[in-house]
Amino acid sequence: MSSKTNKPRMRSAAWRVSFLATIAFACGTLVIFVFLHQFVSSDIQRRTDAWLSGEVEVLGDVAARTPKNALYRRVVGEVAELAAREVPNKSNSADNSSDSVFFLQTSAQPQQSQLWVGAGNGKSNLEAIRRTSFQPDTPTDVSVSGFPVPFRVACLQMADGSRIYLGVSERDDLRVLRRLRLRFFLLWLLVVFLGFGIVFLVTRRMLSHVRRITEAASRIGHSDLSERVPATRRNDEVSQLAQTLNGMLDRIESAMHQLHTITDALAHDLRSPLTAIRGKLEMSLSRTENEEHTEPIVSAIEELDQLTDFLNKSLDVAEARADALRLTRTRIDLSRLMETMVDLYEPSMAERGIRIRVSSEGGVTLDGDEGLIHRMIANLLDNELKHLAPGSSVSITLQCRDEMAIVTLEDNGGGFEPEILEHLFVGRVKGRTSKGHGLGLAFVDAVAQAHGGTVEAANREGRGARISVSLPSLPKTAHHQATVATQVG
Amino acid sequence: MRLLLVEDEADIQAFLQRSLEETGYEVEVAPDARTAEQLAGTGPFDILIVDLGLPDRDGISLILRLRELGMRAPVLILSARRSVDDRVRGLEQGGDDYLTKPFALAELLARLRNLLRRNSPLQGEPTRLRVHDLELDLLRREALRGGQVLQLTQQEFVLLEYLCRNAGRVVTRSMILDKVWGMRFVPDTNVVDVHIYRLRGKVDGAGQYPLIKTMRGVGYVLKDK
Repeated sequence: MSSKTNKPRMRSAAWRVSFLATIAFACGTLVIFVFLHQFVSSDIQRRTDAWLSGEVEVLGDVAARTPKNALYRRVVGEVAELAAREVPNKSNSADNSSDSVFFLQTSAQPQQSQLWVGAGNGKSNLEAIRRTSFQPDTPTDVSVSGFPVPFRVACLQMADGSRIYLGVSERDDLRVLRRLRLRFFLLWLLVVFLGFGIVFLVTRRMLSHVRRITEAASRIGHSDLSERVPATRRNDEVSQLAQTLNGMLDRIESAMHQLHTITDALAHDLRSPLTAIRGKLEMSLSRTENEEHTEPIVSAIEELDQLTDFLNKSLDVAEARADALRLTRTRIDLSRLMETMVDLYEPSMAERGIRIRVSSEGGVTLDGDEGLIHRMIANLLDNELKHLAPGSSVSITLQCRDEMAIVTLEDNGGGFEPEILEHLFVGRVKGRTSKGHGLGLAFVDAVAQAHGGTVEAANREGRGARISVSLPSLPKTAHHQATVATQVG
Repeated sequence: MRLLLVEDEADIQAFLQRSLEETGYEVEVAPDARTAEQLAGTGPFDILIVDLGLPDRDGISLILRLRELGMRAPVLILSARRSVDDRVRGLEQGGDDYLTKPFALAELLARLRNLLRRNSPLQGEPTRLRVHDLELDLLRREALRGGQVLQLTQQEFVLLEYLCRNAGRVVTRSMILDKVWGMRFVPDTNVVDVHIYRLRGKVDGAGQYPLIKTMRGVGYVLKDK
């Protein structure tokens, strides 16, 4: 049962842990990549700028030295084309060079194209350059209409007032960066998914150890302490938890064993003399006919029986409080048991003028210690019998809800005294007018707990008290669904 | 009837021996398991009373040992423990019985009788019981007092039948609870007494000889004059 309820919770914990870990990891790597990307792109630009500055210098030098004759165009054009082949970050396809680099020489005022080397006629380039103001020695971004990617353009002022422009398309740079981003993204996805998987598997494995420990711990019943939680051979936190639990169980088991030894010894040492005394009293009783002489013997026997009863109850409650009641479990038909008990108590109730009404669901069965359940129900009924005033009534219901058999006793008597209501199930608590030992309800609580159940007691609104005992029940058989209601008294 | 009493407490041993001998048993006493084993070899016993807490050995293992040696007699186990241990329960299913200390002598005797009856070949179950002018028809579940039919509930009939079967012998409250309601403990309140009063009111009418008597401190007895 426990494994059924624990599994989904554990699994969701594994999901949660791996999800959070993955998010943290993914965000972290993303931030690192953004920095890296920034660094790479600025480095690429720096290298492009350095190349541009160098080349434009060379071209300026060539242009200045070359005489302005018919060959000037050819010489400077050749040099510019040569330079275009050495563009950094250039992609492999050779024909790209034709439109990725341009060289432009303009006259001083007004700016007119004197020499153009590059794809097309260079008109749109010239227009874009006219719109842009250039700093000497600092290449600048220029967007040219007709080109989706801006050009990086370096400018050099010649001695004769003309200007030389060398531009390189940023297309290749951007392509490098795009490829970098794509590769990073794919790798990032792979690593994140892999990381999630690994974290999930590891967490789940770890949590499954914890789950096994929880299952084993919940199996270790109230009276059976021999079982231990499974310990792994690895020396991690989980196996330390298991070892600690097992150590604790060892100590509890030995303490429990000691308690049993003590109560057994105590029981034995008190019972033997009680048996002998009772036997002797009974023998002398059988030999005495005279009423005057038998009376003290009879009352001695009765007091002895009360003492025995008190001894039994005290030991039971003590053991039960320590979770050490020894259960001999059998299948009990609680509906029939209640019927029998009510049958036993009904005359006494009627004698005291108490009405008793029973409403019982048929076929409620549970796995429990019959003797203890008998005594538990008897204690509850004794309690009513002792405390209810004549003319009161008790209503007993037995029903089965959510795999729990629930016995409820409701009366219309005086209810519990408020000051004892809180400590009702603690041994030796009793009302001022109570004649009992104050062990009755403590025993009821102990038996219910030993069976994995609970007891609730409260004063009813208006008048009277309600005690409700819930015990884990066995599944019902189909033909027992009918509700049986009986009126007695 | 030859009875072997295995009990180490001298006090208990003494009063048990005396009352058992008064009841008519021929009693042999063993204070420990070793003596018990030796005595068992001296001849057949009809019944045994064995205390679980023996000085030299556990009572259960003594019983098992005696069974191994071929002893067939039923055993009444005396136990100082409240809760009945599974091994005792096992023996109980095997036809033996147990009693927790302290016990009423009447109950011990009743259980011995029961064990002996169970062990002896069945002599045809009677269909009618008769005590004085009280008559029980066990087949028709009907009780008559002086020829008059008594209006008894099912439970009252079972109770009266139990008293009649033990006519002349004292039955304790715990015996009644065990036989009639299947409970092996006595509640705090006088629930059994009230049942007996009610039954007495129906069985012993005005002017009739009172058959059901209360033995204070012990229990009840249904007795002819």
